[in-house]
Amino acid sequence: MKQATHPNADLPILALAAVGLLAVPFALPPLGFAPNTVNQILVWGLFGIGFDILFGFAGLLSFGQSAFYGTGGFVAAYLLTRAGSTSVLLSLCLGTLAAAAASFVVGLVALRRTGIYFAMITVAIAEVFYFVEFSPLSSYTGGENGLPGVPTPRFEFGSLVYDIGSGWSMYAFIAVCYFIGIVIALRIVRSPVGAIFVAIRENPLRAAAVGHDVHGYKLVAFVIAAAYAGFAGGLLGVVQGFMPPDAFTFDTSGQLVMQTVIGGVGMLFGPLLGATVWLFLRDFLQSAFDLGSAWKLVLGVVFVLLVTFLRGGLLGGLKRATAWLMRRAGIGQPRRGLAPAEAHSLTSIGSSRRREATAFAGPALATRGLTKVFGGLTANKNLNFSVPRGELRGIIGPNGAGKSTFFKMLTCEMRPTSGRIIFQGRDITALSVASVCQLGLTKTYQVNQLFNGLTTRENIAIAALAERRGKLSLDLLRRWHRVSGLEAQVETTLAIVGLTEHGDVPASELAYGNKRRLEIGLALATEPAVLLLDEPLAGMSPRERKDTVQLLKSIRRGRTLIIVEHDMDAVFELAERITVLHEGALLAEGTPAEIQRNRQVQEAYLGGLAAA
Amino acid sequence: MFNGLVLGALLALISAGLTIIYGTLGVLNLAHGAMFMLGGYAGYVAYAYTQSFLVALIAGAVFVLLVGLAMERSIIRFFYQRPAEDQILVTFGLAICFVEIVRYAFGSLSKTVPPPPWAMGITSLGFLFYPTYRLLVVGIVIAALLALYLLLYRTRIGMIVRAGIEDSGMVDALGINVYRVFMLVFGIGAMAAGFAGIVNAPVVSLTPDVGESILVQSFVVVVIGGVGSFPGAVLGGLIAGEIISITSMLNPAYAYVMLFAVMTLVLVVRPQGLLGIQGRE
Amino acid sequence: MVHHPFRQRLSRRQLLGAATLTAAGGWLCEGAHPLTSIARAADHPALGTYPAGSTGSSVFIGITVPRTGTYAVQGEDELKGYQLAVEHINTGHDLIKKISPKTSKGILGKELKFGVADSEAKPNTAVQEQSRFISENKAVLITGSTSSAVAVALNKLAQREKVLYVAGISGSNDTTGKDCVRYGFRQCFYGQTAAAAIGPVIVKSLGKNKKAAYLTPDYTYGHTVQHSMEDYLNKNAGWTTVTNQVAPLGAPDYSSYLLNVANSGAEVLLNVNWGHDAVLSIQQAKQFGILDKMQLVVPYQTPFLAREVGSGLLAGVYAATDFWWTLEDKYPLAKTFVEAFDKKYGYKPEWGANNAYMEFALWADAVENAGSFYPPDVIKSYEAGRKLQSTVGEVYFRPEDHQLVRPVIIVRGKKPGDMKNKEDFYDVVEIIPGEGLMQKPDAFGCSLGSYT
Repeated sequence: MKQATHPNADLPILALAAVGLLAVPFALPPLGFAPNTVNQILVWGLFGIGFDILFGFAGLLSFGQSAFYGTGGFVAAYLLTRAGSTSVLLSLCLGTLAAAAASFVVGLVALRRTGIYFAMITVAIAEVFYFVEFSPLSSYTGGENGLPGVPTPRFEFGSLVYDIGSGWSMYAFIAVCYFIGIVIALRIVRSPVGAIFVAIRENPLRAAAVGHDVHGYKLVAFVIAAAYAGFAGGLLGVVQGFMPPDAFTFDTSGQLVMQTVIGGVGMLFGPLLGATVWLFLRDFLQSAFDLGSAWKLVLGVVFVLLVTFLRGGLLGGLKRATAWLMRRAGIGQPRRGLAPAEAHSLTSIGSSRRREATAFAGPALATRGLTKVFGGLTANKNLNFSVPRGELRGIIGPNGAGKSTFFKMLTCEMRPTSGRIIFQGRDITALSVASVCQLGLTKTYQVNQLFNGLTTRENIAIAALAERRGKLSLDLLRRWHRVSGLEAQVETTLAIVGLTEHGDVPASELAYGNKRRLEIGLALATEPAVLLLDEPLAGMSPRERKDTVQLLKSIRRGRTLIIVEHDMDAVFELAERITVLHEGALLAEGTPAEIQRNRQVQEAYLGGLAAA
Repeated sequence: MFNGLVLGALLALISAGLTIIYGTLGVLNLAHGAMFMLGGYAGYVAYAYTQSFLVALIAGAVFVLLVGLAMERSIIRFFYQRPAEDQILVTFGLAICFVEIVRYAFGSLSKTVPPPPWAMGITSLGFLFYPTYRLLVVGIVIAALLALYLLLYRTRIGMIVRAGIEDSGMVDALGINVYRVFMLVFGIGAMAAGFAGIVNAPVVSLTPDVGESILVQSFVVVVIGGVGSFPGAVLGGLIAGEIISITSMLNPAYAYVMLFAVMTLVLVVRPQGLLGIQGRE
Repeated sequence: MVHHPFRQRLSRRQLLGAATLTAAGGWLCEGAHPLTSIARAADHPALGTYPAGSTGSSVFIGITVPRTGTYAVQGEDELKGYQLAVEHINTGHDLIKKISPKTSKGILGKELKFGVADSEAKPNTAVQEQSRFISENKAVLITGSTSSAVAVALNKLAQREKVLYVAGISGSNDTTGKDCVRYGFRQCFYGQTAAAAIGPVIVKSLGKNKKAAYLTPDYTYGHTVQHSMEDYLNKNAGWTTVTNQVAPLGAPDYSSYLLNVANSGAEVLLNVNWGHDAVLSIQQAKQFGILDKMQLVVPYQTPFLAREVGSGLLAGVYAATDFWWTLEDKYPLAKTFVEAFDKKYGYKPEWGANNAYMEFALWADAVENAGSFYPPDVIKSYEAGRKLQSTVGEVYFRPEDHQLVRPVIIVRGKKPGDMKNKEDFYDVVEIIPGEGLMQKPDAFGCSLGSYT
C-alpha cells in the first residue's frame, strides 16, 4: 500500500469502495445477508480500521481494544439515553474523544514496553475497564444490562428532516461513516506519520536512530486506533438501539484481532472482509450444518491455518494470487514510488538546519571521564576524547577493547555509568537517541539496520522525514511525499550513495554491498553534523571496500566523521587522526603515522595476537 | 494472608511455566490457559476411570506434556523465525481450538474431581480453619516449584535454558541441539500449567473456560515479576496472591482492580518487572 | 427509547441504499406503499413482520440460547424445551391441547419452523442474531435467554421491531419491571417472587432472629435478589445480616469470600449466585466446612445445580425454583411433560426446559385466541388474562406488566441415601401460589409502551 504515493493513487481505491458500498443493498440480500448483519459488519469494519493502523501499520498487537470500543460506546449511549443529548453525531464524537483520551492515559503506561509485554498489558488493562463498567460505574452504564434505548440519528436540513431507522436506511448512515473512516485512514497511512508507523514496525531501533520519537508515534497510533474504536462503539449502540456491556469483554478484542487477521493485515479493508467472513460463517455453520457450539472451533481452526500459511489473510492471499497471475500473463507490475530522480547535482542539498548549527567553534564531539561498568566488568574506563569539527577520526583497538560500548554511548544508545558526552558544547549524556540525531549526531550500524520491507527510496525518505519534520510532528493528513524539500533530499542522498537506480527495489532484495551503502545513506539523510560509522566495511569484498572508501571520502566534506574499523589499511588511508582503545581505556592518539610508530599500540595488537 | 499463599503458589507455578517458555523460546504462549484447562480435564478422565487421585495427578501432567510436545513439533517450531506477533496470534488461535474441542467433547457442564479422601475436610491451623486439600495444594505446588527449580538450576538442560534466557545467541554458540531443548522446554512449561490445572481441579470445578481468567492473571504475575525470570514468576505469583486475598478481606469486588493497579505501578517504577533483566523485551 | 412513528415504518419497508434517504419524504404517507395491499384479513396495517411472516404455510420463530460460554448448559436444556414444544404444537400433542385448548395442529393451521443461534450469553450477539431472524426469516416470535441482561436487551429489540418476545430464563425484577415492554412476556419466577416465597418457608423451618451471611454476584440480578431477601427476613423475622460478600461475575475462586463468611459468625448462608458461579461457590463452601456449620439457602435455583455440585452437597438445602420434575406426582400435565421429555432426551427436564416449553404453549394459546398473528391482537389476547392449565397448575398473565402469575416451588435437597433414583435430588416442600408473592404491578416502574 505504501508504495502507492501518486497523488491520486487512492482515487481508484476510494471509487471502488464507494461503488462497493452502494452495491451492497442490491447485491448482498440474495446471498442471505440481512441489513442488520451488514450494518454489524460495517461497525466491525470501522472498528478494525483503527486496529489495522495500530497493528498492520505500526506493528503493535493490542488485545485490549474492547476497552476503547466500550468507552466510546458507553459515553455516547449515556449522553443519548440519560444525559438528554439529542444529537447522535455530537454524542458519537464525544464518545470518540473519551475513548481517545482514555487511550492516551493507557498508552502512557502500556507503551512503555513493546511486543509481548504490550500484548499482555493491554489484555490486563481491558479487564479493568470491563470490571469498572460492570460494577463501580453500573449506575451510569446499566451494569450487565447495558444501556437500552439508544436513539437513531435524525438530520434536519432546513425543512427537510431525515430520520434514520433500522435496516437499509441505517445502512446508508453507517456506510457514509465507514466511507469517511476509510478516507481519513487512507490519508493517515499516506501521511508522513503513516510512513513512520511502518518504519517503526519494520525497525523501531533504526526509526529512533534516524531521529523519530518512536514512543510518541506509537502513542499517536494507539490514540488513532482508540478513536476509531470509540466511534465504532458508539455506532454499535446506535445500530442496535442498545449499548451492550459485552462490548467491553476480552472476547470483543479477540474477535477483532481474529477478524483482522482473517481478512488481511495492513490493508485497511481487511477487518471488513474478516468480519464478513466471521459473521457469515457463524450463521452459515450454525444453520446449514447444524453445528451448534462447534462453529467457534471451525473458525478457530481456520484462523490457525491462516496465521500459519497465509499470514496476509484473505486479502493478502488475493493480492499475491493476482500478482502471480499477472506475472504469468507477462504483465509487469510497475512499482510506484517517489517520482524517479530528476538530475540533482551532488551539491544541491538544500539548506539544512544541522549544517548551519555547526557554526559552533569548539570540538564537535567530546567525552569527559566516560565509564561503563557491566556487573563487575569495566568496559570503558575514564575516557576523555575529543574530535574537532571537520576531522575524520579513526578508532581502532583489538577485540574486546571496548569500541562498541564506547560507540553506543556516544550516540546515547547506552547510558554511561559515569562521565559526560558533549556534542557541540552541549551535554547530551541524558538525551535519547532520537534527540541526539535531531541535534545532528547519528551513526551507521555494524549489522545493517534497514527498514527491510520498504524500498531503498522509502528507506531514505524515512530518515529524511526526521530531518525535515523533527522528532514528532502530527501532520496526519499531509501526503508524505509532499513534505517540502523531501524529494530533493532523498534523491540527492540516493545519488551520493549511488543507489539511484535501485531506488524502487525493496531493501531486503538489495545485494549486500548495496545494503551497506543504504545503511550509510540512512544516516546521511538525517543530515548529521557528526557521523559515526561502526565498521562500515564489515563483510565486504575488496572491490566493495574500495568503492565504500571512495564514498566515505566523498561524504566527509562539511562533516565530522568517526570510524570504527578493523580494516587497518582503510583506516590509515582515511583517517586524519586515530584513537586507539585498549582494555577499555585510551591507549594512544595521533596521526596515522604516529600511531604506526607507537610501541604501545604495537604491543597491544601483538599481545592480542599472541593471546589468540 | 495465608489464603493468598495458596492462590499465590498456584499462580507462581503457572506463571513459571509461561515464563520459562518465553524466556527460552521467546514465544508468548497464549494457549497457556488452555493447557491449564487441559490438565484438569485429562485428570478428570483419568480419575473417572481409576478413581485414584494420584493417577489423575500424573495423567494430567503427562497428557499436557505430550500436548505441549506435539504442539511444539507440529506448529510452534515453524514460528521461531517469525515475528512475536505471529506467535501470539497462532497460540491465541490454538487456545480457542483447545477450548472448543473440550467443549465439544465434554459439554459445558462443569466437572468435578474430588480431592483424595484423606485430604477432605478441614484442618485447624490455630488461627483459622482451612480446607485440608488447599493445604495440600500448597505442599504439592511448592514441591513442583522445587522440582522445576532443580531442573533449571541443577541439570544440563536447565543450564541451557538459563543460558538461553540470558542470551539466546549463547546457546547457539555452545553448539547444542537447541531444537530438542526447545521442544522439551515447551513441553515442560506446558506441563507446569497442566499440573497446576489438575491440582486445582478439586478446588474449582472444571469448565472449558476455566483457563481464560488464569491466563490473564498469570500475565499480570509475569509482568510484575519480570518476563523470562523464574524467580520473578515465583515472587510475582506470591505478590499477586497476597494482593488478591488482602483486598478481598476489605472489599472483594476490588481485588482484581487492585492487582492491575499494582501491575501498573510496577510498570511505571520498574518497567522490566521486579526481577526482570533490563533491556529485554 | 425515542419512538418516532415515521422511523418505524421506514425500517419496515426495507428501504434501499443511500438514495432513499432523499426519497424518504415520499414514503411517509400511510397507504402509499404496495405492501399495505397485502395486509389482508382483518385489514390490519403492516407491523413488524406482519403480515410478511405469516403469509406462507409456516411461521418462523427465532431462538437464541447460549451454546458456548458459561451458561451453555442451561442454554442447551432450554433449547430442548423449545424443540419439544415445537414438535408438540406441529403434531397437535395432547399436552399442548390441554394448555392451549384451541390448538389442533400447528398454530392457526401453520406449521412452526425455527432457527437457532448461539447467543454466547451476550446481549449483543443475541440482539444481532434475532435481528437477523426478524429481517431475514420474518420471525413472528423471538425467544431465549439465560440471563436478564439478554432478556432486557431482547425486550427492547422486540418493542422496537414490533415482534413478540417471550423471555427464557430471567430472574431480574427488571424484565417485567422497569425494563418491561408491550411486546415482551415472562413465564418464570423472579427475584421478588422467589424471596417472597422462600422467606416464610425458611423462617418457619430455621426460626426467627437468625444471623445471615449473603454471597451476592455483583450485578443487577444479584443485588435485587439479595435486597428482596434481606428486606423480607430482617423486617418480618428479625434476622440480621452479618456480612454480604459481593463477588464479581465468573470469579474462579471464592476462598476469600468464604473465609469472610466463615469468620462472620453467621448461622445461615444465603447464596444468590447463579449458574456456574453457584456451583463453584457451593462446592468451595463445602471445602471450607461452612456447609457443616451453616444452613445453606439458595433463593434462586439454577437448573442443573444439584447435578453439578454433586455428592449430596445440597442435602437439607432450601431453594426456590420454577419447576421440579417430581411435581409430576401432583400435576398431570407435569407428568406428561416430564415423560415426553425424558423419552426424547434421556433425562428429567430442569426448569429451563419447562419454562421454554410453557412459553411456546402459552404463546400458542394467545395466538389461537387472537385468531391472527397481528401483534397487537396477540398481545391483547395475552392481556385478556385467561386462566390456563400449566405444568404447575392454573396460571394467567398479568396485563399490567406481562408477568405470568404462577406458583413458586420450594424444594429441599435430599440426602444421597434418600434418593429414589439418580435424578431425585429434591423434595418439593411447598408450592406457594403466585398471587400473594407479586409486587404491585407498578411497584418496579413498569410502563409497557405502545402496541404499534
